[in-house]
Amino acid sequence: MGPVRSLRRTSPLTLLVGAVLCIVIIVFLFSPSSEDAAAARAKHAKAASNPLSPPTSAFRKSNDKNGVRVPPPVIHYHMNNVTTTSDPVANRETILILTPLARFYQQYWDNLMKLSYPHELITLAFIIPKNKEGNAATAALQEQITKTQKSGPEKLRFGSIIIERQDFDPPLASQSEAERHKMENQKARRAAMSRARNSLLFTTLGPSTSWVLWLDADVIETPPTLIQDLAAHDKPIIVPNCFQRYTDPKTKQMAERPYDFNSWQDSDTAKKLGEKLGPDEILLEGYAEMATYRTLMAYLSSDQGDPKQEINLDGVGGTALLVKAEVHRDGAMFPPFPFYHLIETEGFAKMAKRLGWSAFGLPNYKVYHYNE
Amino acid sequence: MLPRHNATAYSNGYPRNKGDTYSISPHRFQPRTTPPALRRRRALIIRLGLVLVCASLFGFFIWPGASLVPVLSLGLLSSNVGSELETVRYYDLSTVGGTARGWEREERILLCAPLRDAESHLRMFFAHLRNFTYPHHLIDLAFLVSDSKDRTLPLLSELLEELQADTDPKQPYGEISIIEKDFGQKVNQDVESRHGFAAQASRRKLMAQARNWLLSAALRPYHSWVYWRDVDVETAPFTILEDLMRHNKDVIVPNVWRPLPDWLGGEQPYDLNSWQESETALALADTLDEDAVIVEGYAEYATWRPHLAYLRDPYGDPDMEMDIDGVGGVSILAKAKVFRSGVHFPAFSFEKHAETEGFGKMAKRMQFSVVGLPHYTIWHLYEPSVDDIRHMEEMEQERIAHEKEETERQERMKKIKDQFADPNGQWEKDKTDIQNEAMKEKAKEEAAAKAKAADEAKAIADKSAGEAENKAPEKAAEKPAEKPADKPAENPAEKSAEKAIERAPEQKPVEQAPAKAAHTGF
Repeated sequence: MGPVRSLRRTSPLTLLVGAVLCIVIIVFLFSPSSEDAAAARAKHAKAASNPLSPPTSAFRKSNDKNGVRVPPPVIHYHMNNVTTTSDPVANRETILILTPLARFYQQYWDNLMKLSYPHELITLAFIIPKNKEGNAATAALQEQITKTQKSGPEKLRFGSIIIERQDFDPPLASQSEAERHKMENQKARRAAMSRARNSLLFTTLGPSTSWVLWLDADVIETPPTLIQDLAAHDKPIIVPNCFQRYTDPKTKQMAERPYDFNSWQDSDTAKKLGEKLGPDEILLEGYAEMATYRTLMAYLSSDQGDPKQEINLDGVGGTALLVKAEVHRDGAMFPPFPFYHLIETEGFAKMAKRLGWSAFGLPNYKVYHYNE
Repeated sequence: MLPRHNATAYSNGYPRNKGDTYSISPHRFQPRTTPPALRRRRALIIRLGLVLVCASLFGFFIWPGASLVPVLSLGLLSSNVGSELETVRYYDLSTVGGTARGWEREERILLCAPLRDAESHLRMFFAHLRNFTYPHHLIDLAFLVSDSKDRTLPLLSELLEELQADTDPKQPYGEISIIEKDFGQKVNQDVESRHGFAAQASRRKLMAQARNWLLSAALRPYHSWVYWRDVDVETAPFTILEDLMRHNKDVIVPNVWRPLPDWLGGEQPYDLNSWQESETALALADTLDEDAVIVEGYAEYATWRPHLAYLRDPYGDPDMEMDIDGVGGVSILAKAKVFRSGVHFPAFSFEKHAETEGFGKMAKRMQFSVVGLPHYTIWHLYEPSVDDIRHMEEMEQERIAHEKEETERQERMKKIKDQFADPNGQWEKDKTDIQNEAMKEKAKEEAAAKAKAADEAKAIADKSAGEAENKAPEKAAEKPAEKPADKPAENPAEKSAEKAIERAPEQKPVEQAPAKAAHTGF
């Protein structure tokens, strides 16, 4: 059939159908073609205009190549509007996941990727020592970051990622398990760890963060809803129970054992011990030569226990720890010096208590530590 | 049906020779009139165009922000959005340790200023900002505005916008953050309640909280230094940042004094929070309970600490350093690594101290160097206390009263002059009259004396020779002539007249009392 005849016989109905089709096509073209593009555009709109902005947000690369310095704009941050509620997803609350990284474990990253909390609300921040091991960890981490942030699906990309290199050396050359846990090494090691944590915290916190999740680099398995579950309790400081999976040498089967002993309720014995100590000595948990008789959360879990069960805590461990940002903003940090004979995360719980905040633990809600 | 216009097909049964220019086939159908096809097509194109325009208009109504680029490029260019965006940041903290000559190494400073009801000081503060000699683009400004009831916030943003838009490329600063956060503070900011002893502990804790919120929100991994500055500093050297930085200490503070009105001594140490620890204070700290806060400058806690402020010598070496344990918050320059390590302004009682003093203590606890410069002074604004204001009011009233008295006195003098004319003239006249009288008397006496003398002379001349004759009468004549002109006789009169005038004001109030009452009645 030739075009002339077909046109001559076009009925208004066909034209109408054509017009509708046209509109549909245009609608399809103009409308955000996918959620990805929409998310990308939204992110672009939210991004800061220069690299001096708070690192918890992405920034637009400057296209200005002629070297003229454009004065950064005056920016208002309404911190009265930063909320921390029991339903962080609905309230679009941003979370900062902080990890002091000495070694990079692929399982750790995979576990992060599986978190069901909206990734665009998550900022990851790492602090890595400046030594050979640290360089290797940085390289491995950056490879994964590039994979996720550049070519990964838009939905899995994180809001922003910060990598910091430590400005002081770790006190111990070796990071092996046995060496790390020797009692005499603990104070120096944990003091250095505190400084690393504080450096990371106070440079990345920014004005818009609602929650801070401390997650050690060797925590390799958590429930994907970790953040929502912990935040649902709406506590200033909350700790899940950290366990470790291992192969039982007798039964040759996978089993689990408690790992983190820094979450505890204080005891009178420990208080008396503390009174005897000099101002620069610290009380440590999990060492036979210093029996404190504190109630350890690690031993409070039961197989059929309610994962929502809460207990009060006086000391907290840092393997996984969710903190409301205002606790840190009030000044609660990880003391690198003996604070009431406590140091690092345990000292943090004490300092938070001095500021009027309290800590809670979930003995039956478990996360798992890497097993060497 | 066969296509009739197909030029390449076998319309006439013969294959067409392509290279042949003269290939007009005699069999080709040529319609006599042009068919309406083109016309119809034109109509269709117009119609399609109209539909397209309508559709795009419709589209713009629905997605006003949508750009045409992804549509035209079929989404191939849309990946640009992602690549323009940088989500990963890498910082090496070992490059931001802070050195003595930071301006040469382009070290960034974070300038923090907590504000509350500070509208009146802002313009002065911005004058200071404009004068800093440290490269402005290396300084990031962070303000925390909390619980302000005046126009602090709008004025601040206005002044900052103005500063950033300055045409002088050396004026605009680096990143500028205004953080708005209300802590619901009930504490008053006026001088009296601010410095009252009872309110100190809780006030200092709230101040500490504000400082910590500001710092934690504004500190970035690229900062080498943090400078805390109160907005009510009146005078400070423009080079203060470099001057303090040159010492290359972890925490350093200048001496803070304030100018005073002359009647209060001209100047006074202001910031008493910079001090060295003393045994007395440590002993005192041990006796206090866990939540107590020792505050300096109050009689309640006698600490006998050496204060930086009292050690000032106006002619001393401004570079002289002194180790201190507590620091004042008016102007603190600290390396950012101090804050990164976790030192902050304790909003609880840390070793019996809070806020900036606790900050100094905590920095010391972490083995950072904390020094003060006793002879390097900046001047805090003088805000008169309630007592001062009262005193000043009294002084002002006294001055006014004195002035009034002065003018009244002058008026009275004038009145007296008017009423009693000028007694001097009268006296002069009287004087001359008296003198004249006296002269006449004298002349008479003289004449009499002369006559007498002449008689005597005649008698003597009769007896002796003429030498002594001439002298004696002259002497006798001179003496009596001078006497009436002598003052002593008139002086008592004049004096008593003066006295009368002086006494007059004392008597006046009685007359004036009703007049005054009338005045106050108005």
